[in-house]
Amino acid sequence: MTAALWRALYYVRTAADGLRSSPVTSLVAVATIATTLLVIGAFGLVLKQMGGLLEGVGEDLTVTAYLAAPLSDRAARELATRVSTLEGVASVEVVTREEALRRFESAAGDRAGLLDGLVENPLPASLEIALVPGERTREGIDRLAEALLRLPGIVEVGHGQEWVETYGRVLSGLRAVSAALGAVLALAALLIVANTIRLAVYARRDEVEILALVGASRGFIGTPFVLEGLLQGTAGALLAVALLWVVFRVAAALLATSLTFLIGHSEPVFFSGAEVAVFVLGGAVLGCVGSLSAMASVWSAR
Amino acid sequence: MSPDGEAARDALVRMYHVSKSYLPGAFALRDVNLAIGKGDLVFLTGPSGAGKTTLLKLLFAAEQPSEGSIIIGGRNIARLSDSAVPALRRRIGVVFQDFKLLARRSVEENVGLPLAVRGEPPRQVRARAFRMLKQVGLQHRRHDAPRSLSGGEQQRVAIARALIGEPDLLLADEPTGNLDPDLALEIMDLIAAAAARGTTVVVASHDQAVVERYARRVLHLQAGRLVEQGTAAGIDA
Repeated sequence: MTAALWRALYYVRTAADGLRSSPVTSLVAVATIATTLLVIGAFGLVLKQMGGLLEGVGEDLTVTAYLAAPLSDRAARELATRVSTLEGVASVEVVTREEALRRFESAAGDRAGLLDGLVENPLPASLEIALVPGERTREGIDRLAEALLRLPGIVEVGHGQEWVETYGRVLSGLRAVSAALGAVLALAALLIVANTIRLAVYARRDEVEILALVGASRGFIGTPFVLEGLLQGTAGALLAVALLWVVFRVAAALLATSLTFLIGHSEPVFFSGAEVAVFVLGGAVLGCVGSLSAMASVWSAR
Repeated sequence: MSPDGEAARDALVRMYHVSKSYLPGAFALRDVNLAIGKGDLVFLTGPSGAGKTTLLKLLFAAEQPSEGSIIIGGRNIARLSDSAVPALRRRIGVVFQDFKLLARRSVEENVGLPLAVRGEPPRQVRARAFRMLKQVGLQHRRHDAPRSLSGGEQQRVAIARALIGEPDLLLADEPTGNLDPDLALEIMDLIAAAAARGTTVVVASHDQAVVERYARRVLHLQAGRLVEQGTAAGIDA
């Protein structure tokens, strides 16, 4: 077996010994990492639900293309097929004049009698056009409106422009806030983890001193500590995911009614498998970086 | 022996105008010049605070001198980079008054540590550790924890660890300070035997009996200055 392999085995064994020999310190480190990641994870989960909510709202955003009065239903369907090929269009629904009247009456409720005096249905047929997520912006809608007005048979295009701008602002604001908060939380997590691991390293400074005395390099001394940090980070992240899942299930059951009101009929969603993997990897990296930072402070103090 | 003298040319250790201060104006060592030949057994004597431990720390690069040069084996270690320190320490064995053994490792593992950090295979490390423990008469305690050993036995383990890598230089800081007189002589016999095999040995001690019995050469420090060099006779530890 090569020297590198012996060394790797030594690192793993020393890291395992380190964890075994100071179980309280190790548990404190894991609990600290888990608590920190729990806060970050809970924040991520809330963001995920909000993202879903905004996505749902975005799906309701439609552009209405009003059709020329003499257009037959068949011509309207053909026009709808053409419109569906335009860039940024997710789906197209034909709203006939009769359907438009029915919707008006339904929306007007008690005041539906206003139309009683009319001999003929005054409402035009229209196309209700849903947009793909990337095009739910003012620019995207303007582009589509321009393309629609070039088509024969379409006389007017309507959309909730103000609403679109508000939606866009909320979405980009939420992204900016979440990025800033995420960065602050990650930095706080790093500092907390580094300090916790630093305590563990200080508790074993005699070992560090003796190893340095017999000619061990910094890499030889520090690697088991980094491995310990990696294991503690991974364990902390797994614990945080497990706790998050339990809290998520309980909260989803308890707040089912309020959540339906808030996020519509879509189910609240937990992290996907890939997101959990990234979360656990993040915990492992956090543990490693915490250990490296702790080791760096030990070296600089020597 | 002056570091510039004829005999000093083959010296393993040379110090030129070495000073060390931890605070401005407060010198732990001041303008020390010396040379120590290969295979010499040298005692550093002087009262507490005279600079004995500081001098030893400079020799194994635990400290850097404020001024001057320290040449070991032809290389100036006064301004050694952090990454070069481990290579130097693999050529030096160090023994302390408080043994500095790893409590969580067995006696055998403690002795084999200098070889393990070099990446030698565990079987080879164990075999050599066993031979070293045999030399200090502790092969039967190889699987025990250091704490279960007496003070004298722990110091024998520390000496075995210091010598297992066949160092050019063995430094011992008050190696008998915690031991009763009989055990002190036992430990000094082991250190003197290393010198007899060709290892250069520097022992810091204020134990007059030990110095008188073993010293062939004494360097006496007072308030950070090397005030006398000679044989044990006439120099108080």
